[in-house]
Amino acid sequence: MAKKTDLIQGTLDLLILKTVANGPIHGYGIAQRILVTSKELLQVQQGSLYPALHRLERKGVLKAEWRETGNGPMAKVYSLTAAGRSCLRQETEQWQRYAGAVAMVLDS
Amino acid sequence: MSLFWKRRESELEREVAHHLDQLAAEYERQGYARNDAVRLANREFGGATQVKERCRDERRWAWLTGLRQDVVFGWRMMRRNPAITAAAVISLALGIGANTAIGSLMDMVLWRDLPLPNPKQLSLVHWKGHGFPMELMNGMSGRMSGVGGWDVADFFAYPAFAEMRQNVSALASVAAFTYAAPVSVSFAGRPTVAKERAVSGNFFATLGVRPRAGRLLSDIDDAYAAPAVAVVSHGFWVRALGTDPGAVGRAITIDSETYLIAGVLEPGFYGLSPGDAAEIYTPMHHASFLHGERIRRVGSPLENNRFWGTQLVARRRAGVEEARLQPAMDAVFRTTWAQAPKNLETAPRISLDEGRRGLGFLREEFRDPLVVLGGLVTLLLAIACVNIANLLLARAMARQKELAMRISLGCGRARLMRQFLTESALLAAMGATASIGIAWVTATLLGRFLAGDNTLPIGFVLDGRTLAMVGATAAAALVVFGLFPAWQASRRLDAAWLRQGAGSAGALARRGWNSGRWFVTFQMALSVILVMTAVIFTRNLTGIESSDPGFDRRNLVLFSLRPGTSGYDKARLAPFYAELEGRLRATPGVSGVGLAAMRPMNIGGWVETVRMAGETNRYDVSVNAVTPSYLPLYTAGMIAGRNFTRADLSGPARVAIVSADLARRMGGNGVLGRRLAVADGPPGAKPAEYEIVGIAPAIAATSIKDRPYVVWLPFTGDREEATVVLRTSRPPQAVLPAIRRAVSEVDRNLPMVDTITMEEQISKGLQRERMFATLCSGFGILALVLSVVGLYGVISYGASRRRREIGVRLALGARPRNVVSLILREGLGMAVLGILLGVPFLWLGGKYVQKELTNMQPLDPVSLVVALGILLVAALVAAGLPALRAAALDPAETLRQE
Repeated sequence: MAKKTDLIQGTLDLLILKTVANGPIHGYGIAQRILVTSKELLQVQQGSLYPALHRLERKGVLKAEWRETGNGPMAKVYSLTAAGRSCLRQETEQWQRYAGAVAMVLDS
Repeated sequence: MSLFWKRRESELEREVAHHLDQLAAEYERQGYARNDAVRLANREFGGATQVKERCRDERRWAWLTGLRQDVVFGWRMMRRNPAITAAAVISLALGIGANTAIGSLMDMVLWRDLPLPNPKQLSLVHWKGHGFPMELMNGMSGRMSGVGGWDVADFFAYPAFAEMRQNVSALASVAAFTYAAPVSVSFAGRPTVAKERAVSGNFFATLGVRPRAGRLLSDIDDAYAAPAVAVVSHGFWVRALGTDPGAVGRAITIDSETYLIAGVLEPGFYGLSPGDAAEIYTPMHHASFLHGERIRRVGSPLENNRFWGTQLVARRRAGVEEARLQPAMDAVFRTTWAQAPKNLETAPRISLDEGRRGLGFLREEFRDPLVVLGGLVTLLLAIACVNIANLLLARAMARQKELAMRISLGCGRARLMRQFLTESALLAAMGATASIGIAWVTATLLGRFLAGDNTLPIGFVLDGRTLAMVGATAAAALVVFGLFPAWQASRRLDAAWLRQGAGSAGALARRGWNSGRWFVTFQMALSVILVMTAVIFTRNLTGIESSDPGFDRRNLVLFSLRPGTSGYDKARLAPFYAELEGRLRATPGVSGVGLAAMRPMNIGGWVETVRMAGETNRYDVSVNAVTPSYLPLYTAGMIAGRNFTRADLSGPARVAIVSADLARRMGGNGVLGRRLAVADGPPGAKPAEYEIVGIAPAIAATSIKDRPYVVWLPFTGDREEATVVLRTSRPPQAVLPAIRRAVSEVDRNLPMVDTITMEEQISKGLQRERMFATLCSGFGILALVLSVVGLYGVISYGASRRRREIGVRLALGARPRNVVSLILREGLGMAVLGILLGVPFLWLGGKYVQKELTNMQPLDPVSLVVALGILLVAALVAAGLPALRAAALDPAETLRQE
């Protein structure tokens, strides 16, 4: 297993939004999906995940509902709201600008 | 609400459980046994409780949950010390209540708009000039006061009003009214007295008042030919008409003329100023001042543009400024004068004043006393707040153990401060709620004190404004008493202190105790002001009350009769008075009876300027007309000359008696037989002259407070009303039934007005002094109690902290006496320092108080000594009790405790 990287402050929200944008998903799924798609480089601390989910829900970018999942028990499933979609677009642009700028500085 | 919380909690629970479940399932798939999988999942997830707590913080209403916890916790802390909590709430309630009471009265009297639609459109119409324009007028009724070098007056001739009403109607609706006049009223056979105000037909429409029943007046009532109708206030309808719904359309007798009741005013309308005494409104053309024979002789003032006797109020049309209305009215005003004035520069010109708060005389009269009282209650509240701050500090110290625990469990400083503030806010809220009752009682009492001849008691109104005032006062108090202890308590919570743990005398305790000492000193300084004010106003009142009026005030009773307005014409008045005097004199228990035109000790005379005929020295005097048996009620005999005789009463007055002090000023006994002339008569008329036939001893005739020179004239029989004064040989209350019988034998339908004893009449004139003495004594006592409690608390806390030290001292041979003086010195030191700090404020505040004192200086030395003595004795008691207790300590016991 490759060495896991700690998340840079402020990127957790973006990762969550991006993950949720692919379709309704519960908290455990989000953590797993991030781990898998980052090739196990990014591990979300459970201790930060749920507070972040609740914060995003309060801000109205995520909505949550209780749903049957494939294997039985009810789970709290998150999905993007309209505000969430535009928020994701903005955050993504911002991140890309930021990451590009950092790369330019490092490459120079 | 609580269901909502529970649902949120269980959802969170389930969400976390679901995650753990999935994680465990993952481990199971990797081949772990179920038990191990659950354990690993739990380990990976970390502290589920902390995660849940952090999720809770993210919720929308998180702060509310926290608040709920704080409130519940605060309530529990308070319940643990019910006596202390009650003391804090009561002192706060008294402080806030007193402030609200004064504040609501200030609001009523000084700030509040009349309850009318668009009050800002109202203007009071005045004119300003220099003195009376004597060439334009020969009579007036109204008020004039000096404002910024001008004389501002509110009286206009009725014809001038009629012109203005018509000619500025495009800009404003102008209505006329008069000051309320006392009238005798009879409805359904029940006689009573009331105040009547004559108004123009458009008066109510101009103000925007609606009827409760029937109709109000209109322009068609502005004619002699219109039927005589009256509109009554809602209060009068309740008081005198028994809330009879059938009263409208029925007859009511006003000063012996019959009127029909046209309507009842809406209950919200209290008149043209708070406590307006006018209860009956009549049209100008049927005003009570038009009744009687004199008007028939001299003609109606409504057609006389030299008699300036009506007051005006205008409602500007929407968008019309005062600056636009004023010149328009001024132009019309000038066209209404009887002749061109000699000097146009000094001639009257219209001046408009803001009318939204109604007539201004109450404001002028009560602004200063209300401001003084407002200042005093603010100080009182400050003292109460300081006490509570001290209490909270002490409690914070007692809670060190709990605080240390909370800090070590990770409670933030902000949260801790919030906890303290919540507890304080809880106290403030309880105090504020309890204060409403206190405010109601205080304001009702005070409103009654403020009531005078032209005002009814001003009540306490509990509405949004008052509640806002309560809230604001409580919030201000909270800032004063809540912030400092909260800040203090959370400030010293550093690591060093924590290590010290729950020791009995930590840094917080020491620091808090030091601020406690300063609090108490400050409190003493404030108390100096309040106690001194209480002493000085009490001495002021007792000084006036016990001053010698120059006669025996006991066993005198007086009442007024108004036969001239109850159906007696001129020819019948003199025989009526003669019969009345005779009948009363023959009543058992009555040893003397006399009549006067003006009620003694209540203005008691009209003011004239007189001079000796042929001389130029002028003297301001108070004149009253009396029967021959009047002066003997008060004095044993004349100093020189003779009393009036019955012969003096018939025909116009030709003789006068002067008071001894006036005679002395004018030339001693030599004035007897010389002629006294009225200096300021109407222009052109020959001034009235009287032969001085007697010199009477000087007595307080107008009020017990001042002694103007007095001129007595014979009571000629054509007066429409009289005040009867009787001297009784037994206590007046025992003789009163017989007196009432005697009066009703003369005329059954004549109401006796204001029947009271002379002592009551004197004290009625001292209402304002009594109000100040009573209120300030109350405030002073409260302040004293609060500061004694504060001092006692701080001293006994200090003494308990020094138990060990005292134990050692005693064990080493200190005498109890030494211990007592040790602690007393400390307490008295604080008290004396506070007193010294407070005295300069007395000097600063003196000028505000000066106006309310009659014969006394604000820094009256006797009062100062008394006040400081009271404070020192109180401080001695507050410090003495803990001192004695400390001296009685058993050294062995205190040392063993360590």
